Amino acid sequence: MWTRFRRGLYELVHAGRLDREAEEELSQHVETAVAEKVRRGLDESEARRQVRIELGHPDSARERLREGRPGALVESLRRDVAYAVRMLRKRPGFSALCVLTIALGVGASTALFAVLQAVVLRPLPLPRPESLVRVFDTNPEAGVERTGVASANLADWRRRARLLTGVAGYYSMGRTLTADGSSEVVLAAQVTEDFFPLLGVDAALGRTFTAGEMARALFNSAAAPVGPDPVVVIAHGLWRRRFGADPSVVGRTITIDRRTFRVVGVMPSGFPMPEPGVQLWLPWDVAEDPPRDQHYLGAVARLAEGVTRDQAEHDLNAVARALSDEHPRTNRGWAVRLVPLHEEVVGDAGRTLFVLLGAVGLLLLAACANVAVLSLARGLERGPEASIRLALGATRRQLLQQFLVESLLLAGLGGALGALGAALAVAGLRRAEASLPRLHEVQLDPVALLFAVAATASCALVAGLPYAWRRARANAGTELHDGTTRATAGRGRRLVRDGLVVAEVALAVVLLTGAGLLFRSYQRLHAVDPGFEPEGVLVAPIFLDMETYGSEDKTRAYYARLFERLEALPGVVSVGAATALPTSPLGPDFERPVWPEERPGEERARRQAWVRMVTPRYFETLGIRLRAGRTFTDADGPAAPHAVILSEGLARRLWPAGGAVSRRLVVDYSTSGTYGYDVVGVVNDLRFGGPRRAARDEIYLPHAQRPYLVMNVALRTRADPRQLAPAVREVLHEIDAQKPAHGIHDLSTLLGATYARDRQTMLAMASFAVAALLLSLFGVHGVLLHRVREQKREIGIRMAVGASRGRIVSWVAGHGLRLVLMGTSIGLGLAVVSARAASPLLFGAGAVDGASLLAVAVLPLTALVVSVHPAWRATRVDAAEVLRRG
Amino acid sequence: MAAEKLDLLILKTLALEPRHGYGIGQRIGQVSGGVFRVTLGSLYPALQRLERTGLIDAEWRASENNRRARYYQITRAGRRRLAVEEREWERVSAAMDRLLKAT
Repeated sequence: MWTRFRRGLYELVHAGRLDREAEEELSQHVETAVAEKVRRGLDESEARRQVRIELGHPDSARERLREGRPGALVESLRRDVAYAVRMLRKRPGFSALCVLTIALGVGASTALFAVLQAVVLRPLPLPRPESLVRVFDTNPEAGVERTGVASANLADWRRRARLLTGVAGYYSMGRTLTADGSSEVVLAAQVTEDFFPLLGVDAALGRTFTAGEMARALFNSAAAPVGPDPVVVIAHGLWRRRFGADPSVVGRTITIDRRTFRVVGVMPSGFPMPEPGVQLWLPWDVAEDPPRDQHYLGAVARLAEGVTRDQAEHDLNAVARALSDEHPRTNRGWAVRLVPLHEEVVGDAGRTLFVLLGAVGLLLLAACANVAVLSLARGLERGPEASIRLALGATRRQLLQQFLVESLLLAGLGGALGALGAALAVAGLRRAEASLPRLHEVQLDPVALLFAVAATASCALVAGLPYAWRRARANAGTELHDGTTRATAGRGRRLVRDGLVVAEVALAVVLLTGAGLLFRSYQRLHAVDPGFEPEGVLVAPIFLDMETYGSEDKTRAYYARLFERLEALPGVVSVGAATALPTSPLGPDFERPVWPEERPGEERARRQAWVRMVTPRYFETLGIRLRAGRTFTDADGPAAPHAVILSEGLARRLWPAGGAVSRRLVVDYSTSGTYGYDVVGVVNDLRFGGPRRAARDEIYLPHAQRPYLVMNVALRTRADPRQLAPAVREVLHEIDAQKPAHGIHDLSTLLGATYARDRQTMLAMASFAVAALLLSLFGVHGVLLHRVREQKREIGIRMAVGASRGRIVSWVAGHGLRLVLMGTSIGLGLAVVSARAASPLLFGAGAVDGASLLAVAVLPLTALVVSVHPAWRATRVDAAEVLRRG
Repeated sequence: MAAEKLDLLILKTLALEPRHGYGIGQRIGQVSGGVFRVTLGSLYPALQRLERTGLIDAEWRASENNRRARYYQITRAGRRRLAVEEREWERVSAAMDRLLKAT
């Protein structure tokens, strides 16, 4: 074995020398033989003739020696590639079409695979991510599927849970960062003691928090830091953007909400917790935060070695039960749920991506089929080439190899172009508005490139095989005598070709109906009444800080001034504000137990309701409709009786017999006590989280009676609300130069963002479908043209015996129509099956309906359009010439 | 001529003494009384094959008429193979003999 290998290597390296030596040896052999015959008395030319007969031609020996060497394959491939390049350049149109088709298939599928890989397949960039879980509180009795955890419980869990190596809580909100004289609002997370050790990530520069820093990190009830000598860890991105990646930032001070913080560390780039946009981490001594029934913390935990999620959940629920015995008033009915962190981060994005990857796989198949069809059609023009080469002594293996090289070359060019396209798409996606988690992690990594190579290779095989196989089966005789095939010949080949086109059409139909389903689903989402009127509303979140606006009077004064200035802006119809606005992610959004005052202590009468403080003109500004009673007025001030407005659904659930207005409602504020309110009005339900989410039970309190620092201001305008943004920024700056505006959006955009993924999925599917449709039309066109060329003779004869042009045209177009109809009916059958795969993505009923069928009905029409050109070619067949050639 | 048969004849020829390609062809032609005629296109690929499998060696030497020629000689592995093949040949040809004469 070794000898053979060494010998092979030697022959490969010294191919040139071996060639020369063989040359010398062969010619010596011939010369010696000739000399021998001359010696026996023949004259030289006769001797040479006899030697040539006896020994054969030295060229054939030389050829066979060369073939026997390992370099031969390389050599013959080189020749095939050169030949293939010549062939492709001879027909630039055909080559470009094939290359672009493959580039489309490979590019689209590779880009989508890269996204799937980054979002779903690749583990989170944290050590041992599989043992990380998110912790949620749940209270099925109270109708709470899952919500945040309560801070004091968290401290008990940490002490008592045996199967977790740590539990950490966090709470993120926008804070104003001031450094080097400029201010901006950034997302800041306050995190508890276990946070960094539990996640297993240390600072890239400096350090994370010490126990001492944790112990003094106190916050007041408005989430304002009040402990002495506060410290902060900053994000890598912020460090580069604001501090020029200067390592001496550690130890420097920055201002957050007008307090001075010392920077102790910089996190590594890409640290994704608790969410990717966080720029600041503040320590938080949660043990000093007493409430057990304010479920507002995010929480993450790590399972102990070898412990399953179920075991840990069971263990933690035992702790939760013990706590509910110890603190029945706050903890009764509350249990916990553990969800794998990866699942929580990725959500149902995986389902969307797998459906799209399936769709793009179909597109790739259609692309392969298209290249195969084009190659088969093209093959006819090359006519007797294979036969000639066979007649000249090429082996079938050589022919097959050469055709495969040609198709590999096409696919390779297409694949390279496709990979380039995918790289561009990925670069674009990273900058795009994120409707998918982890989108910023998408990259064309080696695995994705491997996918591209595999896709390209299978393209080459699928697209090249039918043609290569057919060519290699060519007979030396059949096609030599005549450039065109007889009508009776090549039945099998035509079946393959027509079958490929039918398959292409069927794939296009599947994708079209899929796109139709997604479009209808999107339409339904769009048609959902969210319960407010987002058009013409501009939203500006305001975060006041404790240092300057700590007292209720100061907060009231700021907002009074702000509203007065905003209302004076030209084009503003009304100005309202709420602690949190529907579909806007910023601002305090929490739920509390509420019950009718006349039914105290009755478990069944208690409901969890979302609480928000609003200004009098909030309902009017958002277009929320009053159902009963009145909205708030300026008379609902600090000294007036405490008033509340209920959402319609909640009012009905609390007072099923009706007549909620002028009843008394009790809200349980946990440690701050319970308060009674006069119900003054009822407004319509609204879909706070966008059309995909159900309406929630809400109560509204007058901001004047319960001033919050954080408010989201809404302005209803006469014109395009976005045009008003600069003026709003200016007003904010004038009132307080250190409160920079941020997060100013129009409400329609925010509402649209809640189902942006539906829109993008629909658009992606629609573009795949259109691409597949175009491909199948190219396919039909190619096949018809092929058929006309192939059956030129038959057409000629028909015309000679009196067939009209109309007959010929309908003969061509009819064939196209037949193929398309066949493909369409197969495709519709498949679509019914594949619609089931897409149904989890759909909003509302997801059957193949009339509208999607209408989209498909377009196909036969387009088939007629593309058959115009081949039909025209058919009528141009010269009957006389065909008959002359026989 | 089948490739294996030619290989066997070449090995047998070289078992006596090293020869160059022409010599091998001559010898096979003479000894077989002209029954086997060796063409360039069969002889040299066979030599290449045998050399590659290590049954023969080749080197350039001065020939009888003082020109450079490539001489082939049998290797130890070649002799072993020859012995095996000869036995096999005898067995097969004896069997063929019996079969053909039996009728």
